[in-house]
Amino acid sequence: MAIQSWRIRDRYYRLVGSRCASCGAEYFPPVYRCRECGSDKMKDKEMPKTGRIVTYTQLHEPLPGFEAQVPFYLALVELENGARVLTQVVDSPDEAVKTGAKVKATVRRAKVEGESGQIIYGYKFIVA
Amino acid sequence: MARSKAYVASVGFTKVGDHWEKSLLDLAVEAGSSALKGAPKAKPDVLIVGNMFSAVGASQEHLGAMVAGALGLTGIPAFKVEAACASGASAFNVACSLVKSGSVGSALVVGVEKMRDLEPEEASQALAMAESAEYTQFVGASFAALNGLLARYYMESEGVSRDELSSIPVIDHANGVTAEHAQFRKAITADVVSRSSMVADPLRLFDCAPVGDGAAAALILGDPKAGAGKKLVGVLGGAVSTNEFSVYERKDMLDFRATRDAFGSAMSQAGLSLPKLGALEVHDAFSVVGALSLEAMGLSKRGEGCRDAKAGKFDLRSDMPINTFGGLKARGHPVGATGVYQIAEAFLQLTDAAGKNQVDRPDYVATHNIGGVDTTAAVHVFGRAS
Amino acid sequence: MYLMQSKNRAAILGYGAYIPYYRLPTTEIARVWRGGGSGPNVEKAVASMDEDTVTMAIEAARQAVAMSGLDSLGAVFVGTESKPYAVKPTSTIVAQALGQHHTLAADLEFACKAGTEAIQVITGLVGSGMIQAGLAIGMDTAQGRPGDDLEYTAASGGAAYVIGNKGEGAIAVIDCSTSFVSDTGDFWRRAHEKYPRHLSRFTGEPAYFYHIENAVRTLFEETGHKPGDFTYAVFHQPNPRFPVEVATRLGFTMDQIKTGLLNPMIGNTYSGSSPIGLAAVLDEAKPGDKILLASFGSGAGSDAFCLDVKDGITKKRGKSPTVKSMLQRGTRIDYSTYSKFRDKLHK
Ligand SMILES: [Zn+2]
Repeated sequence: MAIQSWRIRDRYYRLVGSRCASCGAEYFPPVYRCRECGSDKMKDKEMPKTGRIVTYTQLHEPLPGFEAQVPFYLALVELENGARVLTQVVDSPDEAVKTGAKVKATVRRAKVEGESGQIIYGYKFIVA
Repeated sequence: MARSKAYVASVGFTKVGDHWEKSLLDLAVEAGSSALKGAPKAKPDVLIVGNMFSAVGASQEHLGAMVAGALGLTGIPAFKVEAACASGASAFNVACSLVKSGSVGSALVVGVEKMRDLEPEEASQALAMAESAEYTQFVGASFAALNGLLARYYMESEGVSRDELSSIPVIDHANGVTAEHAQFRKAITADVVSRSSMVADPLRLFDCAPVGDGAAAALILGDPKAGAGKKLVGVLGGAVSTNEFSVYERKDMLDFRATRDAFGSAMSQAGLSLPKLGALEVHDAFSVVGALSLEAMGLSKRGEGCRDAKAGKFDLRSDMPINTFGGLKARGHPVGATGVYQIAEAFLQLTDAAGKNQVDRPDYVATHNIGGVDTTAAVHVFGRAS
Repeated sequence: MYLMQSKNRAAILGYGAYIPYYRLPTTEIARVWRGGGSGPNVEKAVASMDEDTVTMAIEAARQAVAMSGLDSLGAVFVGTESKPYAVKPTSTIVAQALGQHHTLAADLEFACKAGTEAIQVITGLVGSGMIQAGLAIGMDTAQGRPGDDLEYTAASGGAAYVIGNKGEGAIAVIDCSTSFVSDTGDFWRRAHEKYPRHLSRFTGEPAYFYHIENAVRTLFEETGHKPGDFTYAVFHQPNPRFPVEVATRLGFTMDQIKTGLLNPMIGNTYSGSSPIGLAAVLDEAKPGDKILLASFGSGAGSDAFCLDVKDGITKKRGKSPTVKSMLQRGTRIDYSTYSKFRDKLHK
């Protein structure tokens, strides 16, 4: 996990996704090939840090490592450039987490490898 | 000497549920030997095992040779095919292709999954491996969470109510009552679904297929004469299709493109139109997935899948019965085996061996198995072999 | 002769504060441990379970860098006593999140004084011309042993400052500073211990007051400044009482210190305490104002600064969320939620 995460830490910390050099479409997570025009000329690009909730859920049955957080919100966020990010939504009152809500990115602890392993950081969003 | 046909000569399966006393291999052998006994003279030329997470669930890989050896088939080529929850039907699809190509005369397909040895969160983790480790598992999104997101999106964009969403699980449970191999054999009402515990809002426990152990097998022949006079079922069409990997990466999340394409292709290979189908086994791992699949296959208009189900359009005694033995919700969903269970159930329907679950003399039955959220869809169409 | 002043004056070019969303009323702590009453402060800011000094430092730093308009930093220093790792720098994670690689990066530790220490060091690096600009962060997720007096005040939060050459964009010039230290064991945490220990009343006179008074009086003596010259003064705030007491002793009025006095609302954010007080002052200061900033760190020492507010403040105001807006956004939690968040269940 530590090395897998290290490799893409700029994606986790700064939302570095990809932009199609041919048609300008932008993606997060990054893609190898543009879904709009089929080009494989994709360049890394930092995504905007604000967007809106397209849809969301509140998860009650966690994956291992997320037990302490339940229940917590997961949302599909459409960023200002149209890229779509699956993310946790934290530090937001229940009534604020809804479809269409404006959100902004932050960096949080995403996963902790036990008492002695590494702390993996990554993006989460907050209702703005 | 290319053959162009494939037939299911026999099937075998275990009950789905808790098999505390049986290992992954025990289950695979039980289903496999049962299928082989159905056609004792036909020895398979190849074994294809459908399985999703034996590595995690049982610390076991190399299932092909292991199951072959345990079935007394040492010597034949044997492989595992993995396509998440679509592993079973994908294994069947590969086996059929080998038979139809003429490179083998017969093939045994065994779908198997051992899920109950895992604690609930470990099972969730194993299922989540169908989705991106880097961007889906990383944020703590389980497979149920993705489907929860999808369900809310579906309900909000298509105006589907909680009660309507509950209608497909209700059908499954009604059909499971008389299905001896089903994990749950108790009828439920929509109220039971909407009052069950919350899993991934708006999805509740009864919107979600259970975790269970199970194995199912099918013996495929290229030459109907090798079946030695037994009732055979023809594989009239079969297709596997894929969609953009994660549901949230798709322009239209409600378009189950892989299902639509695989179903269209399989039906056109069979030369069939929808009204000809006598039954459909649909992959409803979550209520919302069942609805969107029915819509993608054209059984319902967009947004109408749940409402049609509620109106009785898919009941066992309707023109288009679905999930005749309880579907994923009641028969159960031992993931890598599910697709083969569906095929075994189609076989039972087309050989008039479905007992209390028999639909009224169907000529054609289709099975629909998916991996991920319509990420891989494998559809097969079967007919009576005269 | 003790005054520190860079030949080329450095200035604050951008700043950002961070106060976590959750607040624990001290009545909650008192309810659990004393059966009633409250602590010296009304509430304290509590980091969520997925927050730590790294995440809060990134949040404050992003605001500071955005306000500065700079895209390159020669140094990233994080002053903290709550490093997530005993060994592995906090500062490199922050630098990575800011996209900064050709930069000095270090974690500084001096109990509650590490934030202003970072400001001192960056000021020197900028003033000497070694770097064009650097980032000084004071941030902590302070922990008090359950039931201990410190639990009422030990809080989470802090602020980040981009310091560079003074010029048009200067918010406040760092005119000069002093530092005063001695070996005084008023508060400490041994290696491998989760919670600090302290010598209750010893933390006042020989520690807090002695060091701050020395640093500030030295600044006054060597610059000729007097309390009346300053529009604002910010002192380290371990509780609501000490900063008021030291201000009075040094000749400052309540009017001068009230803007930067946040302890009653958020508690003691340790390395973040005086930096976040300064941020609250900068949120409302006007060009021409003079600010006194004095930190205190156990162990012990104090840094005192004289800052001159410049025109840049009007142009840049509004480019990062104000301390006031962060104070308003919070939500109250009870002791059990706090225990869950801060891992108090494993003592
Ligand atoms: Zn393109």
